[in-house]
Amino acid sequence: MAHAVISCLHANHAALEAVLADIDQQGIDTITCLGDLVGYGPQPNEVVELIRQRAIPTCQGCWDEDIIEGLNACDCSYPSQLAERRGHLAHQWTADQLSEENKDFLANLPMSLRRDRLLFVHGSPNSQHEYLLPNMDAFAALERVETAEADTLFCGHTHHPYVRELRDGSIRVRVQEGVASGGPSEEREINLPVRRIINAGSVGEPRHGNTNATYVIHDEQTGTVEIREVAYDVERTCRAIVESGLPAIFAWRLRHGFEYAERADDASHVCER
Amino acid sequence: MARWALISGLRGDLEAYEAIQEDLRHTRRVDTLFVLGDVIGPARNCDALLSRLQQPRRGELRPQCLYGWWEDQLLAERGYRGGRRADALRLSQGETAVDALLQAVDPGHMGWLAELQFGFIELDCALLHGSSATVEDSLGPDSSPLLLLDRLTRMEVNRLFTARSGQQFSIELTGGGIESQVRDLEGQRHQQQSVPKRQVIGIGAGVHYTIYDPGTDRFDFLAAGSRSQERARGFA
Amino acid sequence: MSQTLLISGPPGCGKTSWILKRVQAHRGPCGYLRLAGYPDEGLAQAPDGGIDLAYLQDQCPRLLDLADLDQALAPRPEHLLALIELPQFQPPTESGLGGVDRRVIPQLEALHLKPDEHLHFGRDTALPRQDTLDFSSLQAWERNLAGSVWDPASLSSFWFELVNGAYGDVYRAKALMNLPDGRAFFCNWMVSQEGSQFLPLQALAPPDGRPERLSRLVVQGKGLDPAAIEVTLADCLLSQALPHSFPSA
Repeated sequence: MAHAVISCLHANHAALEAVLADIDQQGIDTITCLGDLVGYGPQPNEVVELIRQRAIPTCQGCWDEDIIEGLNACDCSYPSQLAERRGHLAHQWTADQLSEENKDFLANLPMSLRRDRLLFVHGSPNSQHEYLLPNMDAFAALERVETAEADTLFCGHTHHPYVRELRDGSIRVRVQEGVASGGPSEEREINLPVRRIINAGSVGEPRHGNTNATYVIHDEQTGTVEIREVAYDVERTCRAIVESGLPAIFAWRLRHGFEYAERADDASHVCER
Repeated sequence: MARWALISGLRGDLEAYEAIQEDLRHTRRVDTLFVLGDVIGPARNCDALLSRLQQPRRGELRPQCLYGWWEDQLLAERGYRGGRRADALRLSQGETAVDALLQAVDPGHMGWLAELQFGFIELDCALLHGSSATVEDSLGPDSSPLLLLDRLTRMEVNRLFTARSGQQFSIELTGGGIESQVRDLEGQRHQQQSVPKRQVIGIGAGVHYTIYDPGTDRFDFLAAGSRSQERARGFA
Repeated sequence: MSQTLLISGPPGCGKTSWILKRVQAHRGPCGYLRLAGYPDEGLAQAPDGGIDLAYLQDQCPRLLDLADLDQALAPRPEHLLALIELPQFQPPTESGLGGVDRRVIPQLEALHLKPDEHLHFGRDTALPRQDTLDFSSLQAWERNLAGSVWDPASLSSFWFELVNGAYGDVYRAKALMNLPDGRAFFCNWMVSQEGSQFLPLQALAPPDGRPERLSRLVVQGKGLDPAAIEVTLADCLLSQALPHSFPSA
């Protein structure tokens, strides 16, 4: 059965409508959403309501959490003072706009969703704020999937869609218990299982070099994954940004395919909050 | 190069600490003493040990301390960890243990405890109570090598010294690798990665401690009062 | 023998870079004067605010400031190479010294300067060939940044937005910017050239302070949006109360 996975909508209604239309057109009726419904974009209520109306199972993203909990992200999740100030401004604006009912919906989203050996999270199984980038250390990536007891891990947060397969892994170790250097030791080798990480990209805030929305379709029977790119009416969202009173620079960045705030340089950084 | 002594899990036991200091006085070339947490515990009053760590006696090595799982629980319960309380302790050992922990430490020590760090990086070694993931991460000889490799990678170090399990052990990663294939909108990339030569060392707890020589990468697992054994191996 | 050269050309053609090379190659003393230039029809000359002189003096600490009247009246050192920079959009109507804009002559005379040679970018082959743009109308905007310190990562984002058109169609941007570690950078961008120059000054200010040395941003282009630039600047400059280095992670 083919199912679609979407992530990082960022209050971009035009992009969400276009992606849902693309999914409908292919006759796919199972959709999972990996969170970040709001943040930066101009239509937080419209986007949350569309997800609720379509009853799309959704896990909580870092923006969804922060809107409810107050600014939870630590300073270190912003790469610059400029990005932080813009992030705080977008946070305040979104918190003011969201209806109580929609805030309640975001507050009650689960951290992860599981279907058999498929696990759905926003950032990583450890944290909504952790980035699983396509080039991260392969063993560390495998550890995330394995510790979470999944075969395939679906994530978002990086806004960069990809499919990563980790296979033919092994680790040899020499173990010494209670004896010093040079004492008797035991050698062991473990073979690592094959695991996959599928990043759904971003519907509302692309970071792959152009303005198209991205999402993925996964076929459980065949194991195939298709990364879909969908063009949408970017200008409609840009107009809404300016009309809503959000900074015009957000519209400029979206129009040119740049994320609203640059991502942190050290994407593997996890705050010790 | 000078050697390090690594201790943990004293849980208020001043006698054990004095026995280790006595050992170190007779051990050559040890100039740094790292205390990897759990200096407090609920089983006895910890004030005397805490005072001693803050005010070492003449001739004693001055300890460099981290917080451990027990300090973290106490700090949480006393409101030093935001909204979090000593929930892990409460869940595993009940309300009595939480009360006992509160009784075991005079509030006057909280300022010093709150200043303790999560870990030290020395040369290419990480010194931690649990692991780079959390203070409660209990690494031992049976831990999954994949998990160990992840914990080493997070700190980008070659050796990780841990204390949480209380065991003395060493696990060396000696070989292996993994294939990774990434497909994105730009195309497909293949990557072969080898297991780096790295090591996790459990330093022990209480009177069981570890001496490490960064110059030769040799370590010794010791128990306070067993100096004669060490001399027999030609260290002293 | 002393020599006095007048170098003219449109914004961003490379006048200051060429002058720096000449100064560095000259064994004897050198002096420098930057004239303001004159607005052409619909073309505003960007006020330089001393950026070029400050950058050149940083690179060549012994460079004489020929605008200094005391120096103008003092006897000139032997073998002085005097370089006069003049922003000028249109090529001169006559070749050689005959093409010098008459309006600058009284100012040069007051400073006891008489050019021996006039070179214009795009006309004289002694100068490197540059993609000199045809400017049809040009706005200029400048902002004094003295005492301001940038969050380095924010500076990089702002500059990216500025030169890529987020605040209007920028043809030329030039600045001296202070960083929290005491360094300052000469930032330079021209639409016809690939990439920006970010050149550190030799002189350091004490870290964690508010350096009072010259710091300024000059922008030339069309449809500039100074209000939007100001909003971004306010988010990029470190606060008065607490100059600090922003965590890089």
